[in-house]
Amino acid sequence: MSPTLVLLVLFALGGAAWFTARRRARALYTGRGSLKAMPNYHGLHMALWVLIPALLGWAIWSAIAPGLIHGAILAHPAAQLLPAMDMEREAIINEALTAARNNGFGAFRPEAAALTAPVDEILARFNWIGAALALVLAFAGGAYGHTRVTRDFPARTKVERGVLGLLLAASSVAIVTTLGIIGSLVFEAFRFFTFVSPIDFLFGTNWNPDPFAPINPELGEKLGAVPLFWGTLFIGAIIAMIVAVPLGLMSAIYLTQYASGTFRKWVKPALEILAGVPTVVYGYFAALTVAPLVRDFAAAIGIANPTTESALAAGLVMGVMIIPFVSSMADDSIAAVPQAMRDGSLAMGATKSETIRKVLIPAALPGIVAGVMLAISRAIGETMIVYMAAGAAARLSANPFDSMTTVTYQIARLLTGDGDFAHPATLSAFALGLVLFVVTLALNIIALRVVKRFREAYE
Amino acid sequence: MSNPATQWQSPEMARRLERRYAAERRFRLMGVGAITVSLAFLAFLLFTMLKNGIGGIDLEFLTGSDSTDAATAGIWSSFKGSLLTMAVTLVLSFPLGVLAAIWLEEFAPRAKWVEWIEVSINNLAAVPSIIFGLLGLAIFIQLFGLPRSSPLVGGLTLALMTMPVIVIAARNAIQAVPPSIRDAALAVGASPVQASFHHVLPLALPGILTGTIIGMARALGETAPLLIIGMRMFAATPPQGITDSSTVLPMQIFLWSGEIDRAFVQNTSAAIIALLVFLLAMNGLAIYLRARFETRW
Repeated sequence: MSPTLVLLVLFALGGAAWFTARRRARALYTGRGSLKAMPNYHGLHMALWVLIPALLGWAIWSAIAPGLIHGAILAHPAAQLLPAMDMEREAIINEALTAARNNGFGAFRPEAAALTAPVDEILARFNWIGAALALVLAFAGGAYGHTRVTRDFPARTKVERGVLGLLLAASSVAIVTTLGIIGSLVFEAFRFFTFVSPIDFLFGTNWNPDPFAPINPELGEKLGAVPLFWGTLFIGAIIAMIVAVPLGLMSAIYLTQYASGTFRKWVKPALEILAGVPTVVYGYFAALTVAPLVRDFAAAIGIANPTTESALAAGLVMGVMIIPFVSSMADDSIAAVPQAMRDGSLAMGATKSETIRKVLIPAALPGIVAGVMLAISRAIGETMIVYMAAGAAARLSANPFDSMTTVTYQIARLLTGDGDFAHPATLSAFALGLVLFVVTLALNIIALRVVKRFREAYE
Repeated sequence: MSNPATQWQSPEMARRLERRYAAERRFRLMGVGAITVSLAFLAFLLFTMLKNGIGGIDLEFLTGSDSTDAATAGIWSSFKGSLLTMAVTLVLSFPLGVLAAIWLEEFAPRAKWVEWIEVSINNLAAVPSIIFGLLGLAIFIQLFGLPRSSPLVGGLTLALMTMPVIVIAARNAIQAVPPSIRDAALAVGASPVQASFHHVLPLALPGILTGTIIGMARALGETAPLLIIGMRMFAATPPQGITDSSTVLPMQIFLWSGEIDRAFVQNTSAAIIALLVFLLAMNGLAIYLRARFETRW
């Protein structure tokens, strides 16, 4: 029984429960005050009793089922022929599982292909057990809910308590996600650091991961991430910001201080389109149009052998992408400067631009700096533009026409390759992800704190 | 010469004033220049895509599947993958986001752990998207054993990414509903839950929907996390369900952009046009909803 069908059946049962309980409660109604809760709430109460235990039970079953399925496969006579070696046996079982789920596609090894039919059978059996469990729970819950449909039963308070629980559960998804991110990154990064020392990783200058290299202590020498950190900073924090900060700041100033209402009404949304264009489109544009232009320009100013993939092309396009972001942050911080400061400066005879340069910008500077920090945290987490335009060469160079690589590029490449997931070179992606996560989080927390303090200063 | 009035009119002063006005004009020009450069870049991008791609859009392109031959390749298989992925994302992130926002705005007690929830929502909104891909790979695929490259896993991953956006938009929309509405409902005997669900939520709904559409538009254009969970595949047939292997429209653009064959340039640009048109329609719908249904109190 497929999961979709189970869900459909459960929801149909929930609907049926709502109908029955509501009808029963209506039958009980004899006049004003004869029922403690409206029939509708009786219906909802029973429907919740049908749905929640069944869905919870089914979710728990789905969580533990993979382990049980694994055990069942190992116990199956067909699995006795598998090699005793753990790694290889796991790989074959995984392949057979994929094949069984994909109607036979994906079993490349003959052992896995032979195992596909029994695995398919086991999967079907376990799916049936899960579906049966869910149905039993639904009926048990429904039976209990049905007995509660009496005159004195406070169905509304019960339902509302349930709804509040649901709301709380929805809110805690955010915390669970955060913990999930930290947990998975730390766990996989820890596995990586059992092979490679953190010092080699964080301070080594040679990045040349090979997911098929034998696992030995020398592996760390090829997994030094400094060139990646440099490439990320050079593209995201230097080149992109050289483009985005002046353009974003000047557009914000013009739009808020000079432009007429109608001009602003049309131009501001147009600028914001820049932030709404998907990054893959920017990446393609960078690779197709900007990169050749940059290369020709490099050749024109006499750089020897310029490459098509360059840090400059990626950084330029990324900077343009960030413009609306910088602009709206600058807009907010300039708007937060008290009107009295501006009026004071203008009253002294300063021109508008003098007021902006000598009064507004210095006063708004903390906010603008925080905005730039947030923009940097965006830029360094950006993947597609660098993936398509910056290149794969990990090198420490200050030449913007060189091809350079970034943390995000390497994460994407390592995890889309053919390498074994448990190999240190693949796991290094999670260590890189951890570094990226910590850096962007730190930038965000510092920036938000600066903004908060800056706001308080003018209140 | 000690009279200030004559000092003002001295040629030296006139020159100085002229310099200051010139600086003012230069500054203004810089502002106009910044906006022009930004918009010119956008126009250049759109023009390039239109020039390269408009010839490639025909019925065959819109209804075909991926192919190794540029002439017969189409976007339907990836577009269907996008639709399935978006469906999963919407079904999960919309209720979760709205319920979380209601709880945080209407019922949350003032406590340390509630602050933790708020902080984690705000932080999640700023986490780079590729990190969500790592989460999806480690949790959904490695731990739960869900099918790789499927719209199910893609939708789950994007839902976690979109949820904070929806929560933030929904909280703003709920905050904008005046307390008098709530008070009136409570005064005639509604319970707090009834006041929130029957009175506050319907009034906040246009704002919530606008935020949701913007969040979904962002998720639709997202590529990096889906790359990590393996949705880069050659989709010669459209996926039949959410557990089938599939690709999405932005990923199709990415895959075609890597083809050596120059004929794929037209396909890539045409797919970009299709994606941008779809995104534009979504944002237009959001703007329309906001203009049509938003109540100013």
